[in-house]
Amino acid sequence: MAPPSRIGTTGRRVCPLSALASDLPTPFRHENDRRSFKAVLNIVSGLLGLSLLAGFVGALSGLGGGVFIVPGLVILAHMPMQVAVSASLISVVATSAGASVAFVRDGWTNLRVAMILECATVTGALVGAYLAGVVPHKVLELLFALMMLQSAYFSLIQHRDDNVPTSDRCCTWLGLGGEIENVDGTVSSYGVVGLPWGASLMVAAGFMSGLLGIGAGALKVAAMDYFMRLPLKVSSATSNFMIGVTAGAGALVFLARGDVSTVVAAPVALGVTGGSLAGSRILPRANVRTLRLLFVAILLMIALEMAWRALNGI
Amino acid sequence: MSRDRRIEDQILRKWTPLILRTLLLISAALLVLGLATMGSSAPGYYVRRFRAAQLGVSHIRQEWYELGKSALSGDPRSITMFGLFVLTLVPLGRVGFTFVLFLRERDGVFALATAYVLAALIAGIMLGRLG
Repeated sequence: MAPPSRIGTTGRRVCPLSALASDLPTPFRHENDRRSFKAVLNIVSGLLGLSLLAGFVGALSGLGGGVFIVPGLVILAHMPMQVAVSASLISVVATSAGASVAFVRDGWTNLRVAMILECATVTGALVGAYLAGVVPHKVLELLFALMMLQSAYFSLIQHRDDNVPTSDRCCTWLGLGGEIENVDGTVSSYGVVGLPWGASLMVAAGFMSGLLGIGAGALKVAAMDYFMRLPLKVSSATSNFMIGVTAGAGALVFLARGDVSTVVAAPVALGVTGGSLAGSRILPRANVRTLRLLFVAILLMIALEMAWRALNGI
Repeated sequence: MSRDRRIEDQILRKWTPLILRTLLLISAALLVLGLATMGSSAPGYYVRRFRAAQLGVSHIRQEWYELGKSALSGDPRSITMFGLFVLTLVPLGRVGFTFVLFLRERDGVFALATAYVLAALIAGIMLGRLG
């Protein structure tokens, strides 16, 4: 069933979220166009607030800030997809750098797996970022909606049991297996399998990252968890470590092309990083299961909104 | 744990966080400085560029040396752009560091893999320059 719509003030059909956004007093409207320090403060604080929230929700849901900041900028700040994607990619680099500090200290990151898989993700990211400059923004919005549905799916499915496999021949030759420290201080070894499958999915994850301005962490973790059979903590930490490089490859294409709006990207990078740091502090005390269900509902709503906008040419 | 793995572990736990934190702090300081000077000295420019971005006009291409020169002379937009560049260089710096690590370990396969990632990141800049 199509989502309910109504006629907006401009006479165009708008989806509920857009209608709500257009009724809210936001700092992104032209009424605030006095060329003064206060006007700048209004816009910057609006962008900071939006990106803080996106980073916070992204960290709590485990999906990353990019999934929330892109639709936030498109729906609430009325930015075209390409501007939102470039700002988001830069914020993903910042968030990943901040978060991976904690992960690498805990020793959960597998550097060798990360470096091998980064070969696949950066290749996909370069192609994606290049195409993001030429693909019509309505197509990008539709693809974003589909990506959100996929993220919602990966958030809901159960992770497999942690039966540690023995490394297959290829992974043994590359020395991809590793060790992790258990809670009681003992050390366990783990093996790695299915590198070709994992690498293939990483090309897709990199492509999505460059094209849609996200970290694609859900897909990366799923690939390492299901196909390469890495322990979940190692998958999450290694994925976080890789996200920065993947997003960095895409961001460099946008920056070198001159397609990054500094006035949008700077406050967004600061806000998303701050929000995700706050979210990751609260995460250990939060009821993750309930939160995940709530965020999946939010994801589905935003996905519907983005699809509606794309299909109706809004 | 083998000697190679111990070096890797030390690089990961000690040096990587240090590099990441330092670059993050530098870029955050540059972004705050750029935004503050833009808001105080050129608020009209900020609002105009924000509206242009809403209309999909965000394209400003500048040569690297020009960017560095104008950032040093205190141009708020260039300072902000420079902060964004430093931020994007975080992964490039980290991969470069890992490349040196694998070279020191004489690990040919991983040095090659890291060199490929490094080359791809640099290719990204060239791809962007091509349009």
